[in-house]
Amino acid sequence: MMLARVADSLYWVGRYVERAEHFSRLASVMLNATLDRTDAGTQAAELARAAIGDREPAADANPFEAARALVLNRERAGGSVVDSLSRARENARQVRDQITTETWERLNLLYLRATDSRAEHEFDANAPDFLAGIIADLHLFKGAADATMSHGEGWRFMVTGVHLERARLIARLLRVCFSGHQGAVLDDHLALVSVLRMACALEPYLRAYTADLNSRYILEFLLFDEDFPRSIRYSTDRMEEHLNRLSRGREIGRGDPARLAGRLNARLAYTDVEDVESTGASAILTAVEAECTAIHQAMFDTFVAYPLEMRLPA
Amino acid sequence: MVDIQTVQDGSESMRRPEDYPAGLAYDEMFAAEGGTRPHYQLLHNRIRSLGAMELAERQQTLERSFLLQGITFTVYGADSATERIIPTDLFPRIISAPEWAKIEKGLIQRLKALNLFLADIYGAQKIIGDGVVPRDLILGAPSYRRQMQHLYVPHNAYVNVCGSDLIRGEDGEFFVLEDNLRVPSGVSYMLANREAARRTFPGTFRQAGVKPVERYPDLLLATLKSMAGDWRPNPQVVVLTPGVYNSAYYEHAYLARLMGVPLVEGRDLSIHDNLVFMRTTAGLRRVDVIYRRVDDDFIDPLSFRRDSSLGVAGLFNAYRSGNVVICNAPGTGVADDKAVYAFVPSIIKYYLGEEAILPNVKTFLCRIPAELNHTLANLDKLVVKAVGASGGYGMLVGPHASAAERAEFADALKADPENYIAQPTIQLSTAPCLVDGKIEPRHVDLRPFILSGDKVVVTPGALTRVALKRGSLVVNSSQGGGSKDTWVLSDDAPPDSDDELEAGQ
Repeated sequence: MMLARVADSLYWVGRYVERAEHFSRLASVMLNATLDRTDAGTQAAELARAAIGDREPAADANPFEAARALVLNRERAGGSVVDSLSRARENARQVRDQITTETWERLNLLYLRATDSRAEHEFDANAPDFLAGIIADLHLFKGAADATMSHGEGWRFMVTGVHLERARLIARLLRVCFSGHQGAVLDDHLALVSVLRMACALEPYLRAYTADLNSRYILEFLLFDEDFPRSIRYSTDRMEEHLNRLSRGREIGRGDPARLAGRLNARLAYTDVEDVESTGASAILTAVEAECTAIHQAMFDTFVAYPLEMRLPA
Repeated sequence: MVDIQTVQDGSESMRRPEDYPAGLAYDEMFAAEGGTRPHYQLLHNRIRSLGAMELAERQQTLERSFLLQGITFTVYGADSATERIIPTDLFPRIISAPEWAKIEKGLIQRLKALNLFLADIYGAQKIIGDGVVPRDLILGAPSYRRQMQHLYVPHNAYVNVCGSDLIRGEDGEFFVLEDNLRVPSGVSYMLANREAARRTFPGTFRQAGVKPVERYPDLLLATLKSMAGDWRPNPQVVVLTPGVYNSAYYEHAYLARLMGVPLVEGRDLSIHDNLVFMRTTAGLRRVDVIYRRVDDDFIDPLSFRRDSSLGVAGLFNAYRSGNVVICNAPGTGVADDKAVYAFVPSIIKYYLGEEAILPNVKTFLCRIPAELNHTLANLDKLVVKAVGASGGYGMLVGPHASAAERAEFADALKADPENYIAQPTIQLSTAPCLVDGKIEPRHVDLRPFILSGDKVVVTPGALTRVALKRGSLVVNSSQGGGSKDTWVLSDDAPPDSDDELEAGQ
């Protein structure tokens, strides 16, 4: 039993923390790719920018500025790292009594560092370091939550938020890279490495598929792998697990979020990369994004904004 | 690291340093003739054994830990809001066991009397009938809530949490300056300061024999539960906060977390059939006791201020029906009114038949012609306060005011004497503080916390507020005040000569 408002805030902490991490990684890859003065480098940077919704990567906008805005610009349409961290922390502050001190202090520290007046200077001086620091701190936050919070209802809401956001973001990344959005088929080595890096998947991929990089394997790995924590399948698996526990013992009518998550998970479980190739990746990736939106809405309707008449004690 | 000397050895050389000015005020650490007071000797020794560098370093660590924990208040600027920590001082303020024993007895006596007084004025009104307190002063006060009349309050505990402000005058005597009976705050600073002090001076802390304050949250929970004890076996307690933008939000979350109860906002609660429910992920759940950190005016738009969105519509009716307990009870503000304050010694005598253990500051009620004349004649020596105002507004500090300001205030006084009281200007006692790397005296007050439910308990500790500006007597955090930890010593703790911990820090 927990307050509906609190559950909602914890869910959003999870989502914003995941978003901050993903954006940091995209910015890092973007900066790294531009070190290569090749077409492939430019292509990789443009993929990253497309994945964050910079619709027209105009030739004049320099990738460093784009990465800088993605990290530090609070007003950036579509969000930024600083914006996500501020929102995560603001949500956490509203439920300060529900999270452990260890967990809170990690997030508060991150927030203080990212919003410090010296942050811009630090970024300009050594952006890769700055971003690596943020990503490492976000891992500490998740580790602290895992190690110190009771794995009960509140924690499940937070983790569900993490995985829902992750599934959404990876689906969008894959859609931008592999559904012909960019016009050309992606086959350049550096571009493929960059895609894997953006999903933090390079090393696990190499272990699974060896250094044989091609878009078919990458799609398979990031869509269907059961063990890799950033594959969509893994995230939908976790979502189904946590939502099942959250709605256990409750009378939930139609629109049960656990049912939606289970359906999505089953679809991923019974589809393989051949099916995807025959229909095009776009269909399944779009479906993942749409289903995530539906699960989000169903959670809100079920746990937070339910009509009171239905829940009055008899 | 310098070895600490035992108390006896150290006393010879333990004197006020040359650069620590002796003022008019009573100093907590140094006696008037310059020697260190006995209960401060351990600490003084320790401070002297640490260099300026080390002290500054510890101060930094302390501030950083507050920032990290999020013990902050928000300052709203032109286009942004920044969070600041409340300045906190390294050195604890120490109160000896006999001094504390008197304070404790005095506070318990006072709160018992005030609870009886509240029960009376919202009930039979005998004290008014007997002419001890003027009728119009009580019934005419805006803080008197007629809605509260003839309402059953368990144990007559109207004030469950009280944070009185005490000051120490030039002669070393403690006075009560104000009874905060509405929604007193600051207890989280007491607890956070303590946690910090334990880390800053671990050896001294252990040797000195400091009474613990850490039980406050569970004593508070027990007090709150006792308010529902006779009608709900396992009451659901919640803390009601105005929300994250309130300057004391940190404290609300802190107490909820340490008590293990939900922290709710008005929008989380709803009323059905005069029962209070909170909206949880699994549906509605009954609430029995509300520790509200929202002012009377805002708890229920149907009964109090109609434009409030912080409270819950219908809450007061649920309270009247006996289905929920609100702590502190609405309407307690009438007893900490500045004019009623003057009557507290008579109130204690009336209900308990005892003299007040802790004296009041001498107060002139301008509603009485003779006292008005005295006030007008001595405007340059007195502090004049408007009865209804707080937070330093509507106040004249005679000695610091210009002749024109005094003349203007005199007119206001004559026009509406009932609205004013006057008190002599008191030099608050001073305590050593670390200011820009130097140890200097600053004026301090003392806010202990008293809980009252089925019994009255005083936590042996307090929030010591510090006026950080040199010479300033204003300790409010909104006006540049800070705080420090307060150590209450236990009588039976012999000074311990085991120095290992101290030397090893």
